[in-house]
Amino acid sequence: MTSTSTGGDNAVLEARTPLKTRLHHVWRPFRESSRISRGLIFSGLGLIAAFLLLAFLGPLVYPYDGTQYRAETSPGEFTAFPELAPPSAEHWFGTTKDQFDVLARIIDGATLAFAVMALAVSIAMIIGVTLGLFSGYRGGRLDRIMVTAMDAVYAFPPLVLAIIVSFVLAAYLSPGVPSAAAAVGLVYIPQYFRVVRNHTLSVKEEPFVEAAKSFGARNRTVLGRYVFFNVVQTVPVILTLNAADAILVLASLGFLGYGVQPPTPEWGYDISQAVNDVAAGIWWTALWPGLAIVLLVMALTLVGEGLNDVINPLLRARGKAGRKIKAMPAARRRGRSRRTSDAAEQDDEGLAAKVRDLRVGYRTASGPLWAVDGVSFEIKKGETVALVGESGCGKSSMGRAMLRLMPPGGVVHGQVEIGGTDVVTAPDSEVRKLRGEGVSLMFQEPMTRLNPLERVSDHFVEMIRTHKPKTSREDARAMARDALVQVGIPPTRIDNYPHEFSGGMRQRVMLALSIVLTPRLIVADEPTTALDVIVESQILSLLERLRVEENVGILFITHNLGVVAEACDRVAVMYAGKIVEMGPVDEIFTNPKHPYTRGLVASTISLNTTELRSIGGYPPNLIDPPRGCRFAARCPHVMDHCTQSPPELTEVGPDQRAACFLYPGAGQPVPEGVVAPSGDPQVSGI
Amino acid sequence: MKAGSLGRYIAQRLLLAIPMVFILLTLLFLLLNAAPGDPVTATLGGRLPPEEIAQRKEALGLNDPLYVQYFNYMGNALTGDFGNPVTDPRSVVQIVLDTAPATIELALAAMLVAILLGITVGALSGRLRDTPFDVGGRLFGILIYAAPVFWTGLLAQLYFSVELGWLPSQQRAGGFDAPEPITGFYVFDSIITGDMAALGTVLSHLVLPAVTLGLLLGGVFIRLVRVNMLQTLRSDYVEAARARGLREHVVLFRHAFKTALIPIITIMGLQFAMLIGNAVLTEHTFTWPGLAQALVGFIGARDYAAVQGIVTFIALVIVGVSLLIDIFTGLVDPRVRY
Repeated sequence: MTSTSTGGDNAVLEARTPLKTRLHHVWRPFRESSRISRGLIFSGLGLIAAFLLLAFLGPLVYPYDGTQYRAETSPGEFTAFPELAPPSAEHWFGTTKDQFDVLARIIDGATLAFAVMALAVSIAMIIGVTLGLFSGYRGGRLDRIMVTAMDAVYAFPPLVLAIIVSFVLAAYLSPGVPSAAAAVGLVYIPQYFRVVRNHTLSVKEEPFVEAAKSFGARNRTVLGRYVFFNVVQTVPVILTLNAADAILVLASLGFLGYGVQPPTPEWGYDISQAVNDVAAGIWWTALWPGLAIVLLVMALTLVGEGLNDVINPLLRARGKAGRKIKAMPAARRRGRSRRTSDAAEQDDEGLAAKVRDLRVGYRTASGPLWAVDGVSFEIKKGETVALVGESGCGKSSMGRAMLRLMPPGGVVHGQVEIGGTDVVTAPDSEVRKLRGEGVSLMFQEPMTRLNPLERVSDHFVEMIRTHKPKTSREDARAMARDALVQVGIPPTRIDNYPHEFSGGMRQRVMLALSIVLTPRLIVADEPTTALDVIVESQILSLLERLRVEENVGILFITHNLGVVAEACDRVAVMYAGKIVEMGPVDEIFTNPKHPYTRGLVASTISLNTTELRSIGGYPPNLIDPPRGCRFAARCPHVMDHCTQSPPELTEVGPDQRAACFLYPGAGQPVPEGVVAPSGDPQVSGI
Repeated sequence: MKAGSLGRYIAQRLLLAIPMVFILLTLLFLLLNAAPGDPVTATLGGRLPPEEIAQRKEALGLNDPLYVQYFNYMGNALTGDFGNPVTDPRSVVQIVLDTAPATIELALAAMLVAILLGITVGALSGRLRDTPFDVGGRLFGILIYAAPVFWTGLLAQLYFSVELGWLPSQQRAGGFDAPEPITGFYVFDSIITGDMAALGTVLSHLVLPAVTLGLLLGGVFIRLVRVNMLQTLRSDYVEAARARGLREHVVLFRHAFKTALIPIITIMGLQFAMLIGNAVLTEHTFTWPGLAQALVGFIGARDYAAVQGIVTFIALVIVGVSLLIDIFTGLVDPRVRY
């Protein structure tokens, strides 16, 4: 069941959007859900429809009744049905020991099942929602008692509870649909109670409700709308799954003899009547009613599960695990990785990493998306290169691609060479060895990157001994202590758990993990975003020291230009999957060439800022990128041919390059039709 | 005790269980007393002379005001006295002692089947998401959940007992086949007495009900394990573990699976209620002489003194199990101890 604590503001916003938009919100996750989820929902709906037809048209079409044991062969003359007759043309599913027609009983059982199910779920929902609203709105001690009581009911075996309820009810009501529905339905009340109560409680504390009160507005209306729109997202799943369960509980009650009044056709009761038949080897009296239960419950479950998949975005499919591997030519994967020639290798000796024409793509519901589209650069040892750009420009994808660490559905093309290994084409085992030892990745969110169940020391020992299997446990711990000391964490805390550290300390632990094996390259993906300024500067100076003392190359991914100015040697500016300008940090700040870089620099505050400007517009959609320069739509200097063909990076100053037609050499506008398309991550090779 | 220590955590959990027990027992008392009349009349009315019924009612304290009955009930339940049935000379405690071993034996065997099935298929399904294996595993989970356990049990009887004649379809091992009862757990008893013939018979009786119940629970576990594997496989620290170059099986088992186990175990604890419900059905289907079967018998006899006693016992077991699960989670996950 989806738990539902959406942010208040967001939900209120949603509550105010028109129905049409809201329907679109419901429909969109559905469309983006995996084919399998949709298949499940549709096959379930189909089965339910078939059962509805059976339940409501069946009695009209089928000649017999569920409690009929003889047929009128000619006026006034009756022929009794045979006892325990196997399936035949006369009785398609056979007859029972009471001479009833099995199929007729299945049909009537379906009608009864739908009636009980609908009534039971309605009872549960009405009572649960009412109590939930009341309890959440009142709050206080009553609320706490109600919650514990509901938890108690929820923890109690549903079937035993249903038996007791029907046992007590039998004193007041003769067995039938209402009593069965009450017994079955009471079991589900806590689920609705919980959902509604939690939403009511959370909205009650929202500032806007308080505000509405002070204006004398009808805050109950606001409350009702809010709760309604949130509950609408969860309740369909609960409702469907409850309906499925209700069928099972009804049948179980019937099987134990507490359902409806015999000989009313009811699937569970019918199976209980077939117990002795089974011992005699007679199968048709037990098989068919059970099959009916299985199919109907399965249909309802399929719909519920499918809905849950669609509504719960966490489980929504983004792609198939392991597909990236299949997308690569098998022969190349099995063979040795591509090695550069000796001459080139000597040239590359001083390099921490060399990236050539790197492309990183994802398959999305609307088509392939190249988050990084043809990027080339080098990082020297002992050099910090900043990679800057707006969110979504492909920075993080690039960082991950440096380790070939792709989510399901992601592909990497091009070349990433680190210490003589091409990360893109090397076999998995080689890439794995490189990760952590040759290249480390520092993540944005230190809070969630350490395994909560493992001590810090376990993280180190596990990693060190994976890469250097001969290291003893004690040596590995010693290495870990050294690394912790380097990042300023007392080595006595080595056996603490991650949750015993603050965010800044955890990021330092992550840094210690990144450096403990002295890699050639550290990819730092916005490592200070989540931290305060003091911790940020500590982390930056640690990285700086590593660069100088250990000669490590650092790729520093950030959107914070202030950090860049402080910590980096060179800057690569990325926009919409491409590098638009690259150069020494001083040049980029004092003499930016590309209009986008100028915009970026102008939008940063410094001591002599007189006017703070922002860049209008939004980055282009990368699923269908513009043919020409990707910045053209937002560029103040846009020219006609900017929209025709993409500019190339070209020398614009000492060691400074920009991709812009404002500078000669960026390439000539190419006539229409000649531009190479970006291609499809699914089909193109490496 | 210092914050975060296990002892303190356990003490907290115990304190939290008290209101739960209190409210659960109160609800049960109210529910069972919602029926009109009294247990003696309901059970024996018309079969005994009115004087005797009145005498029995007096003896059971049924003429006291309801609140007095309530306090007696609560006091007795908390001191381990679950009352006496009207239709059975044994006390409820004695009935529980006599029948619970059979139920526990069945439940443990079923859990074994369920855990083996649920964890292997579920973990693989999560890893091999959206492959035919995953779809097959999910469909099996849904199918087995949809099948009433008494029906699968009957089909199993039909095929393995009647058709093939491999396994007995009813009862536990009985008479001369049964091992010398020491603990009441037949598998255990036959092992400690070294009675291998009895062990064979005991196991042959256990197989069908245990597998029937185990498949059902296994279906639930498959779904549970799969979803939690999917979640942890996408978690940040799993990606970070990969980024450190750990071997895939280490990432899978040490980092993804171990963490996934915590919610799995918590929810498995909640499924305990479902286990009991289905144990009732399984025992009934296989005429397994356990506690659930006894409960069904007393309900049939409208002996609600006995029903109240057994249900109260079950309620206490449920609270106890959820307490155990909490403690277990505290042992595995250092975070929850705070």
